[in-house]
Amino acid sequence: MRHYLFPLIPVVAALLTVGCQPSVSPDEGPLRNDLLKKTTGPAVVGDRIEFAYAIGTLEGDLKTVRAEATLPGGTGTGFDRFSWYTNRSTGVDEPLATAGDTATKGPVSTANILDVATNKAITLRYYYYPTAASQGKDVSFRFSVTSSTGKEVSIQSPTYRISRMDMKRSIVLADGAKAYISLADMTAYTKAEVEQNNLASKIDLVYIYRPTLGAGNYAFGHALVAPSNADYLKDVVLPTGLAKPRTAIDKRVDVKDAQLRGTAGFDVYIDDIDLERTTFTNVADYAYGMAADQGAFVKTADGAYAAYVYVNGVNNTAKTMTVSIKRLKLN
Amino acid sequence: MLAVIGLLSCSNDPIDDTGLLITGRSQCYVTFFDLLGSDHRTVLVSGQTKIDTTALTVTAVARFGTNMQRVKPYCSVVTDAIVEPTMGIWTDFRQPQTYTVVSGNRQVRKTYTVTVTLQQ
Repeated sequence: MRHYLFPLIPVVAALLTVGCQPSVSPDEGPLRNDLLKKTTGPAVVGDRIEFAYAIGTLEGDLKTVRAEATLPGGTGTGFDRFSWYTNRSTGVDEPLATAGDTATKGPVSTANILDVATNKAITLRYYYYPTAASQGKDVSFRFSVTSSTGKEVSIQSPTYRISRMDMKRSIVLADGAKAYISLADMTAYTKAEVEQNNLASKIDLVYIYRPTLGAGNYAFGHALVAPSNADYLKDVVLPTGLAKPRTAIDKRVDVKDAQLRGTAGFDVYIDDIDLERTTFTNVADYAYGMAADQGAFVKTADGAYAAYVYVNGVNNTAKTMTVSIKRLKLN
Repeated sequence: MLAVIGLLSCSNDPIDDTGLLITGRSQCYVTFFDLLGSDHRTVLVSGQTKIDTTALTVTAVARFGTNMQRVKPYCSVVTDAIVEPTMGIWTDFRQPQTYTVVSGNRQVRKTYTVTVTLQQ
């Protein structure tokens, strides 16, 4: 009986040896990677999503990186050539070229690592620009890096929903000129343009600037007014044939959308759900006294669009107001 | 002695239907009133709000251009008193609205008429 067990001894010893070795995951090997999504706002067409892809090797050199999106991105999608470091003397983040031959073909972006002798551990930036074709769809990314030893590691991102919203920045409105706003077109027109191009049925908002208004000369300022409001538009010669829809307009002073503002530092974002669920019960058909960083939720009279109109700036002398718009098609 | 203290400390103070404490206070009046627009900023003209605790009226003036159909009233009342119906919800103030102040002991009720006129 005993002699039957002898051949098993080396097998058991081998199993015990293997079983006692610590398991090696890709994150613990000589070639490692990690991923951070830097962008906190929604993925909107017209803006980008930024990732920081960290890679490092203890054997050989970093060679190439690759990112594959499940949906092709727009122009500008791909790896950035620069990594960033903080200058300890000035505290300012400064760029350092770490990647070359950056290329994007379809959903795949690639780059080669520069100065491999010194760039043993770097963080690359990858930008993804959602396209109109991807609105409402989900996208995810697989990042990978290869080393000169032939090893490869990769990391899979979570899934992100591309917003259904359209965004248009820096539309300059001018009292008596580019004052007629179409939410369908996300464009401001002059009276002549509305008449010549038969746009009368598409105008949802009229921009006016009146320092004061009313019998008591009350402060009024920069205003968005629905064509339905005869009180505030009584001194305006409207385009011929202009429909008089009652666009719902609900002023806000504390919604400083970072994407519409175009600057970092404000982590407030209008997302699809805000425009889907905002209610307009008993709201006005005007918003006046508008100033920079303020805005208004608006909904077209036919219920086709809801939008947030953000005020980037006003100019009392030029009688202009610059706005940026996020718009969602509701039906 | 400890048992008596313990029993007293565990005694249940009466509360009303909304869970608020019913106290012994009988005072019953409004001390402050404000009206907010859709941007959650006051729409009232400063210095024009008058509270008459005898006539039980509140009068105020809203700034030119205020959408009176969608404003949100707020008020302060004497300690422990409550207001019915609840303020702080979007309200149509084109017509005077009535609110009842109920004292802390819930025994005294005074109905105020709140009238807000619009600068024309």
